[in-house]
Amino acid sequence: MDFPSTQFVPSRAMGTYEPIHQIGMWGENFKSISNPNISASVIVDVANKLENESETTSHEMLVPSSKHDQEASKPFDKIQRRLAQNREAARKSRLRKKAYVQQLENSRLKLIQLEQELERSRQQGLYVGGGLEAGHLGISGAVNSGIAAFEMGYERWMEEQNKQICELRSALNAQISEIELRILVESGMSHYFELFRMKSSVAKADVFYVMSGKWKTSAERFFAWIGGFRPSELLKVLVPQIDPLTDQQILDVCNLKQSCQQAEDALSQGMEKLRETVSATLASGQMGQGTYVPQVAMAMEKLEALVCFVNQADHLRQETLQQMSYILTTRQAARGLLALGEYIHRLQALSNLWANHPREPA
Amino acid sequence: MLYSMQEAIPYKSHMAATAGGRSRFHNFLKGADNGGGRRLVTNGTKTSVMELVVENAVIVFGRRGCCMCHVVNRLLLGLGVNPAVCEVDEEKEEAVLNELSMVNGGGIQFPAVFVGGKLFGGLDRVMSTHITGELVPILKEAGALWL
Repeated sequence: MDFPSTQFVPSRAMGTYEPIHQIGMWGENFKSISNPNISASVIVDVANKLENESETTSHEMLVPSSKHDQEASKPFDKIQRRLAQNREAARKSRLRKKAYVQQLENSRLKLIQLEQELERSRQQGLYVGGGLEAGHLGISGAVNSGIAAFEMGYERWMEEQNKQICELRSALNAQISEIELRILVESGMSHYFELFRMKSSVAKADVFYVMSGKWKTSAERFFAWIGGFRPSELLKVLVPQIDPLTDQQILDVCNLKQSCQQAEDALSQGMEKLRETVSATLASGQMGQGTYVPQVAMAMEKLEALVCFVNQADHLRQETLQQMSYILTTRQAARGLLALGEYIHRLQALSNLWANHPREPA
Repeated sequence: MLYSMQEAIPYKSHMAATAGGRSRFHNFLKGADNGGGRRLVTNGTKTSVMELVVENAVIVFGRRGCCMCHVVNRLLLGLGVNPAVCEVDEEKEEAVLNELSMVNGGGIQFPAVFVGGKLFGGLDRVMSTHITGELVPILKEAGALWL
């Protein structure tokens, strides 16, 4: 008869032996579930091992009794009691095991979820893991909820945007009245203005979130300027889609492009000045005095101006869209909005394609 | 409306003629601290502030080292305007804001742009009027820009 490494401890009350080692093991394993570093496969292996062991131990629990039966002097009820206790212990053991496996399953699902999130983040080119930027460590609940609210809002915004693009597409192919088309154009414009409002709100919570364009796909971020599209670039993309334009319109659009360029340059130079100011403040005084020196708080004060820049950039985008709608006819504006929507879709498709196309392993 | 003689001279030659000569000229071109423009000071008194507003076709009031002020100045310079720039020290900030509000009859925020002796607005207004094309004619009318 072969007993594996279970130890028998005399039970105080009944004079029977209980494999306390087994109970101990269940307890240890409950603790280890909270350690996220154990991979799912290891956990499953351990579970299987324990399952096998518990089955053999249940058998073992009966063996001592059969041994004792050889002494015919043992009263019948004592044997019955022992059997009952064994059954009870086995039942409890099974319950514990069930609970343990349930916890294992939950952990496994959570792990799969986390791995998927990680993969998504990697594909989007976000920096994940290590360092102060990882996740939202150390950011207050208010910031987190501001960002969460924005991300939910953006998802809805994107759904509505896709609907509007479809409507524009069919409206331009069909013969709808000028008034109906105008309504579509106005909705499209308001929809963008709504996005600018949302961005302004989340910029107050975390301006770096807006500056990084985290809610956008990678290709969109590649083209971003101060948290969004560059108005003059947008005009270059859209205007060829809106041909034919009258001579006056061509002149107006040309002037608009130039004004955008000048405004963008002024804002870019202001950003450069901000970087210089923050850098100079941060680097002032002597180094080698530790990290939490007054310079850091002073630099942070200067950095507040970044919120203004984000707002001014969105203001510029809004004014540009507005001005275009004045210059163009309703039909041209509708074509412009459709082109803009489809251009963004293509950028998103590009990001997707990029993330999924096979590459040489590094 | 009193404009100083400096208005009539294009800013490049003006800067070269003032004290400091070459290095200041280069600094000026680089944008220096305030984004360019002719630097003026105020002691925060009514007379001082009124003088500045009235004597300049375009003047920008802003906090010292303010980046938004820098943006306004760069934009105006890019259009060919030679704006007067008044950088206000923190101590004088409240006084200047008060005086300016009285000129305007209402609340003022930095940066504040005055054109032709009247309040024009802040960076928002400068940006939107530039996009709509209204800014340049207004500047020309005030004598801040020549064709």
